Amino acid sequence: MTTTIIILCYIGILLSVTLFSTRLMNKKSKGDYFLASRGIGPFMLLMSIFGTTMTAFALIGSTGKTFHHGIGVYGLMASWSGIIHSVCFFLLGAKVWKLGKEHGYLTQISYFRDRYKSELVALMLFPLMVAFVMIYILMGVVGAGRFIQNITPETFAMEESVTTVPMPALPEGVTIPEALSDRLSHDTQAGVLAWKGSMHPKRKGAFIRMYPKLKEGASEEEKATYGVGKKDWMESVNKLVATTPRGSIPYAAGMGFICLVVLVYVFFGGMRATAWANTFQTVVFMIMGVVAFWVIKEKLGGVVKASETLLSNEPAVQKKAMAAGHEWHPKTTREGNIGHLQFLTYCFIPLSVGMFPHLFQHWLTAKKASSFKLSIVAHPICILITWIPCVLLGMWASGELPHDTKANAVLGMMVGKHSNEILAGLIGAGVLAAIMSSMDSQFLCLGSIFSNDIVGHYSKKLGNKPMDERKSIALGRMFVTIIVAVAFLIGFLNPQSVFDMGVWCFTGFASLFPIAIAAIYWKRSNRQGVIAALFTVMALWGGMLPKVLAPNKTGEFLISGMMPVTIIIISSTAVLVVVTLMTPPPSEDIVKKFFPASQKQG
Amino acid sequence: MKALVIFLIVLLCVLHHDWWWWDDNTMVFGFMPIGLAWHGGISLAAGFVWFLAVKFCWPKDLEEGEGAES
Repeated sequence: MTTTIIILCYIGILLSVTLFSTRLMNKKSKGDYFLASRGIGPFMLLMSIFGTTMTAFALIGSTGKTFHHGIGVYGLMASWSGIIHSVCFFLLGAKVWKLGKEHGYLTQISYFRDRYKSELVALMLFPLMVAFVMIYILMGVVGAGRFIQNITPETFAMEESVTTVPMPALPEGVTIPEALSDRLSHDTQAGVLAWKGSMHPKRKGAFIRMYPKLKEGASEEEKATYGVGKKDWMESVNKLVATTPRGSIPYAAGMGFICLVVLVYVFFGGMRATAWANTFQTVVFMIMGVVAFWVIKEKLGGVVKASETLLSNEPAVQKKAMAAGHEWHPKTTREGNIGHLQFLTYCFIPLSVGMFPHLFQHWLTAKKASSFKLSIVAHPICILITWIPCVLLGMWASGELPHDTKANAVLGMMVGKHSNEILAGLIGAGVLAAIMSSMDSQFLCLGSIFSNDIVGHYSKKLGNKPMDERKSIALGRMFVTIIVAVAFLIGFLNPQSVFDMGVWCFTGFASLFPIAIAAIYWKRSNRQGVIAALFTVMALWGGMLPKVLAPNKTGEFLISGMMPVTIIIISSTAVLVVVTLMTPPPSEDIVKKFFPASQKQG
Repeated sequence: MKALVIFLIVLLCVLHHDWWWWDDNTMVFGFMPIGLAWHGGISLAAGFVWFLAVKFCWPKDLEEGEGAES
């Protein structure tokens, strides 16, 4: 219950911060709603960009993935991102900001439509972007629902519920402690062990402690008989813990609640509230990651002791895993955990930030081009601060938890084992902060794409009067509500495939990166080349999707040891270049508009 | 300076593939595997290289519009 209260308090503070930010809105225009009047300074821009690119994966996923694949996970995802993300901000972010300011773009699609003077480019990008972003949203929604469910057991007492397991008699020496006597009972007549109400899985420890310890100085006879009934006791306890209702906030309610909170502050405050919320939430999840690390390492006896314990436990864990028929390699190195080609070709995945439409919109909010400087320099450092503690926790957990523990449960189990409900609540708030700081930008971006690039653009094209700004914003909100409702339904009906799809959506965004670079730096780039590249990405991305979602696949989907994004990005680049060179160059007007410096020189 | 920054970014990408620490579990400061410490260093070095990039290679055409009204 304490955990739930802390999370509710956090949500209350978040809504207050966003409400305060809406008071700073000077005018209720589209420019302010979607781009905060292009007035975001360096620190808020850094926090917005960092918070948007880091999802719940930065805390839960990094710990869980290290638990299974070792410390190489930092190199795969964090240090590559530190280099490549900043490349994208430097090469694309600041340039996009300048173009947006000069030509008044509100969205990524409006820029591409204008750059290539092509309705087809915009109409191909729209469903692609909506689909990719929706999958991204789905990851957040499902992650939030599951996480809330996992960290809030015994929120509801469920006093009317009684769970029983067969047990003719309590084992010799087992007594029900006074503290549990109102909830746990043994009915000798019925031959059952009964638990009243809901149960936190942590209570399993109390059951284990009920079994008497072997006394010091026990006789040989006592030693021989010790533990005779322990196996039956543990089996019954396991069954009781597994079948008793948790009394958690239900999965669907958690998903719905988080969607509602984000919708409320995005709808009321637009980009300004989103930027404030992102700043607040990014600070929260960075601090909470460090706090979790600090508390757990203290409980483990300090960092050196924790690593020494891990090294001494590794042979036993390996033996146990191999006895169960699983391959297991020490998590302190990459050998056997990650392939060389996989490690190398992971560099293409962070290129996805170059085509995230929600990040594109954040770039447009900057007050000045120089506001980007702090984001470019500090981004790798922020990644370091967030990821190193989580990777170390995942590494230490590999010597403590059963080798087959689910990746997403590792951080929660370490927190549960080495801290209390208050810390669990604070870390829970941190994880939800990481989830929401990505979702808000995605909601806002979908709304702006729909109202500006579809409704606003085509209504004007059909000869109607320019749409009233309030009506335009309302239509954007309606579209976002529909998308969120669809994401909620998919998450509710089929949550299993979501995370495989999530990784695949990054591959999709990254595959479109050559188009972004060509649009900004290659004046010869034309619409024919871009359309051909878009078709290539659609065909390869869609063609490989069944393999990604194959139910019996093990590990990450690789092609000859490489990340599939390698093949798609090389193909889309080749098609873009070849088709562009085979077709007429863009008109003089386009070149003059987008490459004025080269015109002056020429 | 621009050439130096490009060289340093390429160097970072090359140094990122540290096959020489691939199966080494030496603990730096007694707690951090050397492979992880190396990549932590790569992140810090990336911050420094990007500092040089924004200090010395920031595109001039971006500075031109700084004072203009949005």
